[in-house]
Amino acid sequence: MKHISPNQVSAEAPVRAPTRRALAKQQTRLKVLAAARRLFSEQGYEGATIRDIAAAAGMSTGAVFANFTDKSDLFREIMTDDMEALAVAMRDAAERARTVEDGLLKVFMAGYTFYKTRLQLARAAFSVSWDADGGPTLRGLSSSQAFQELFVEQLTAGVERGELSQESEIKLRSQMLFDAYLANFPQAIFEGWSLDALQARARDQIRILLAGARRG
Amino acid sequence: MDIGVRQVSTALQARASQKEATRQRVIDAARDLFDTHGYQGTTIREIARHAGVAVGSVFTTFASKGEILSEVMAGRIAPLYAELDRVMPHLHGPTVDRLRTMFAIHVQFEARHVRLFLSHISAAYDWTHSPGARPYGRNERLKSILRQCLVKGIEDGDIRPDADPAEIGELLMAAYAWTFRLAINEADAPSMIAVMDRQIGLIVEGAAARS
Repeated sequence: MKHISPNQVSAEAPVRAPTRRALAKQQTRLKVLAAARRLFSEQGYEGATIRDIAAAAGMSTGAVFANFTDKSDLFREIMTDDMEALAVAMRDAAERARTVEDGLLKVFMAGYTFYKTRLQLARAAFSVSWDADGGPTLRGLSSSQAFQELFVEQLTAGVERGELSQESEIKLRSQMLFDAYLANFPQAIFEGWSLDALQARARDQIRILLAGARRG
Repeated sequence: MDIGVRQVSTALQARASQKEATRQRVIDAARDLFDTHGYQGTTIREIARHAGVAVGSVFTTFASKGEILSEVMAGRIAPLYAELDRVMPHLHGPTVDRLRTMFAIHVQFEARHVRLFLSHISAAYDWTHSPGARPYGRNERLKSILRQCLVKGIEDGDIRPDADPAEIGELLMAAYAWTFRLAINEADAPSMIAVMDRQIGLIVEGAAARS
């Protein structure tokens, strides 16, 4: 996603000039990203246009296109930032858990707490994720797959601690947990559920999805 | 005078049937477009163009893109649910098998138009949709069939008595939706049904009565 013009590559420019230019370019990118984040939040993915984003950032559409190939590129960048931050928050939360159930619940709740303040952006991301074209790209991002791994890690730890049996079908079960986590967005969060109500619901779901894997 | 009234009523009838024809043309065009380009990739402008009607006349009938898709889906699944209403009361055997049969019929049906069904799921996340839109997750027919099936499961002792049928139903619906992501990677109906069967087994096992 870095755009290097032939000029920059070939010119024997003084050391400080490109640095300043790189800095300016970085600032432009940040300005566009901030404006895009705001517009995606206010108008949704479809409603936000590059033209509006450029205007909100106080620059020309050309300047936006110099930094991002298209709207989906811009959106992907914002999603990646968020998903990376969230994965860290989830992992931190789960670290203090003592049981597999507790760990999963903390992962669920870290996600809901994170998105509670950026629901519109979450909606936009979900909408894109079910798109037959945009979906696989978004889910294929390494930051997106990190979530999947996070659930697998929790279950694997459960097996290692002897809470879950060796034949727990970890792959399918973690996929289903991840999906229950995601399904709560349209079914509950977008409907305005409180974090307490979400926690009670998530606890039930986790219990049902783990019951068959319990040892003994 | 009399003739004048008759003319007016004929004109009204003609307008009503013209409106119905427009509605049907819009729905047919929308079905094809959602099935080809998905929810994001389909615009009301495109739908109007394919239907051969003005954008304005689409809006006199439908409030939003989500509402058009809801009408497409409602028209499509009506025969499916008529069939299920006939079949479900005659299904015997354990709850897990009844659920598997019910979802297999669904998968088989929707797998013929995968992108259309994915559009239906995608629409659940479009917050611009008007109250008239009923995307995936708001399908009351499917919810009520699941509820009946699970309540019978509790009566039969297959499901824990204190289990919440709505909650289990939602887990099943989440699993069902997820199964269709496999279809994006060209999975066929039998392999999706196999995955769904495993997921149903796992959920029902978790909701089963403790011995």
